[in-house]
Amino acid sequence: MSRSAVVRAALLAISVGLASGAAAIAQQREGGRDARPAKNPLEGNPQAISNGAAMFRNRCAGCHGPDAHGYLGPDLTAFWAAGGTDARMFDIVRYGVSGTEMIAADPTRVFDKDIWQVLAYVRTLAAVPAAAPTGDAANGERIFRANCSSCHRVDGRGGQLGPDLSRIGSARPRTGLAAKVRGTSAFIRPGYEPVTLVTRDGERLRGVRKNEDEFSIQIMDMRERLQGYLKTNLAGVTIDKQSVMPAYGPDRLADRDLDDLLRYLTTLRGAAETATR
Amino acid sequence: MRIVIARLLFGTIAAAALSWSVAAQQPASPQVTPQDLRDGLKNPTRWLTYSGDYANHRHSPLTQITPANVNRLVAQWQFQTDTLGKFEASPLVVDGVVYVTGPLDTAWAIDARTGRQIWRYKRDLPSGLIACCGLVNRGFGVMGDRLFKTTLDAHVVAISRKTGAIEWDTAMANFKHGYSGTTAPLVVKDKVIVGVAGAEYGVRGFIDAYDAQTGKQVWRFHTTAGPEDAGHATWRGTDVKAWEHGGGSIWVPGAYDPELNLVYWGTGNAGPDYSGIEREGDNLYTASLVALDADTGKLRWHYQFTPHDIWDYDSTQMPVLADLTLNGAPQKVVLFANRNGFFYVLDRATGKLLRAKPFIETTWAKEVRADGRPMLQPNSVPSEEGTKVCPDQTGGTNWMPPSFDPSLNLFFVTARESCGIFFTWKDDYTPGDAFRGGAVQRMGETQMSALRAIDVATGARKWEFPYANQSWAGVLSTASGLVFAGSSGNLMAFDAKTGKNLWHFQTGNALYAGAITYMIDDRQYVLMPSGTALTAFALADF
Repeated sequence: MSRSAVVRAALLAISVGLASGAAAIAQQREGGRDARPAKNPLEGNPQAISNGAAMFRNRCAGCHGPDAHGYLGPDLTAFWAAGGTDARMFDIVRYGVSGTEMIAADPTRVFDKDIWQVLAYVRTLAAVPAAAPTGDAANGERIFRANCSSCHRVDGRGGQLGPDLSRIGSARPRTGLAAKVRGTSAFIRPGYEPVTLVTRDGERLRGVRKNEDEFSIQIMDMRERLQGYLKTNLAGVTIDKQSVMPAYGPDRLADRDLDDLLRYLTTLRGAAETATR
Repeated sequence: MRIVIARLLFGTIAAAALSWSVAAQQPASPQVTPQDLRDGLKNPTRWLTYSGDYANHRHSPLTQITPANVNRLVAQWQFQTDTLGKFEASPLVVDGVVYVTGPLDTAWAIDARTGRQIWRYKRDLPSGLIACCGLVNRGFGVMGDRLFKTTLDAHVVAISRKTGAIEWDTAMANFKHGYSGTTAPLVVKDKVIVGVAGAEYGVRGFIDAYDAQTGKQVWRFHTTAGPEDAGHATWRGTDVKAWEHGGGSIWVPGAYDPELNLVYWGTGNAGPDYSGIEREGDNLYTASLVALDADTGKLRWHYQFTPHDIWDYDSTQMPVLADLTLNGAPQKVVLFANRNGFFYVLDRATGKLLRAKPFIETTWAKEVRADGRPMLQPNSVPSEEGTKVCPDQTGGTNWMPPSFDPSLNLFFVTARESCGIFFTWKDDYTPGDAFRGGAVQRMGETQMSALRAIDVATGARKWEFPYANQSWAGVLSTASGLVFAGSSGNLMAFDAKTGKNLWHFQTGNALYAGAITYMIDDRQYVLMPSGTALTAFALADF
């Protein structure tokens, strides 16, 4: 696991997030909001660390893991050692990371004090960055184009059955990406749940679920066609356990190639999209 | 008036003169009287209170739409409000006009036959509003020629039914300290009875009565017991002022029993929501049902559903008054499907618990003892590490109103199964700031919801219809044996006896309120709020 790659990804994500959120920030500051201090005013405060631990478990651990070492979201423990500052981390939490599940914290619900308490706790978990990342990103991109891009889009190129990965380097730690490529279905993004429909004629249709109610279901089928079905015309609707994404075990993707692919994926932070804005 | 004109044209001069004098003495338009409110839905051209009658049955005597013909129900008109937010209100109907309140303190008078707007009301709200859970409103109360509503800046106002103009405007509390008004008023005799929301901001909840004519406050009942109240000893802990910001908010209307002259009101969660160290004890009168003298506001009895609530289990659901035969004896009861997952039957004269039974899967308590206290399960207290508790803080049901069919003895409720991980942390009270002392991680994989029919004689589930998504829709039933409810934007009709789905219509937005029904020109309408639209339905061939 390369922590510094993740940290760099996070830092880049901050700058991207700040650029796209600049207008919102300006607006809030004009609204009389005091600029946040550069340093965490609650660092080392025992009550803040205790409150922050509970808040972290409630609001952050679902994505960043119970020990902040990363799960769906990046590892946070090496952030400071890699040059991250309190102010930058505060801004990530307050304004979010564009194009990822890390949404902005609503100031009417999450007060500055809450964010500082969480940061005071996470700071106690601080660790040093691990070894430098390995892998050849150029080869990883070639592997991606050959195996993944029929279903995943990057910077406007590729299929759309699976999620757009243009910013995946900001959104997922390397470990999470590796598990996904190797075939885990532990987390499937809403809108991409695998579904099998059986028609009254016995025909089986596979795809990903886009929406569903008591009487109908809307899917994208494996040929990327958006389709709606009335349940009265179906013999069965099953939400499958296994993602429609094939598992790339060591037999299909050698460890070294996986390393290259992960190096490529962790570089994807939506730079091209940002440049066109 | 047509009769008057006919007599003028064809009658004698004397008869015409008599008619004119009678007409001159009549009020300009029919009034809504206290007796009309007591009569509830006896006049089914009207819908005069939040749930149709003081007993909150939400059960109409109308029978034009039946299980046999409901498949011919079609949309007649749709009213789009052109606002953000959502309807959580029950519309009222008075003599051909729909009166409904919307988000951000808007309201409309609408032609009930056609959906055409008659007037629009919009309050100029101050900046810096604090309202935790949506800038919504749950509807008007009506009396005479006036409508009454609470406002997001914690006022109560009287509005002219004819013009939408303000007739009086009274502040209930300081909105800057987290107080807001979202409940529909309960109008009883000459009083407008309301309350305040804001338990997530450390308010001290209350139920207030205002003079319908003048807007002057007549009485106030505090839902957290102060030093002068009998229940004050139930507030002890590290914060000696805990009762001053102890929650107990009021954000849906109550019920009224004219014979006992009691109003019944469910009270909100204790505050801070998930932390109890500051407020050891039962924390009366939060998460309770209180029975108050309608004239004085004096507490007659209380029953606390969730003593020392630390799960945000507001008891802000509908008290439903019913006269049942239990164990062979007639009994005046109040029925209550609570957010904490239990369905309660109480003696409404005394508050004595007659039965409590879960209507969803609960883990914080599995049963309620004969003395009325829930038996808490171990490991059900919010913690720093997180504790799994079912239901989650959104509860087994919530503000969406249920209905009760007395002929079938069935109580229809939107039931929600869920679990959450409850966390606690220390919050210091600051006026106007959120005051929750924790939070809940909802567990998506545990969630389902259903329309459930509960046999009130036994508490047993008679039937259920499972929904595809978590529903927030209220319920309406009719004497023809239909139940209207829904989920996922679908208004649905069910056979009240079996739960069989008979009809549905995709309204195009989520349902956060219940349908109402009324009769105009011998045609029965069903009116459903969804998103920020109202859709009216009637049979195609009437």
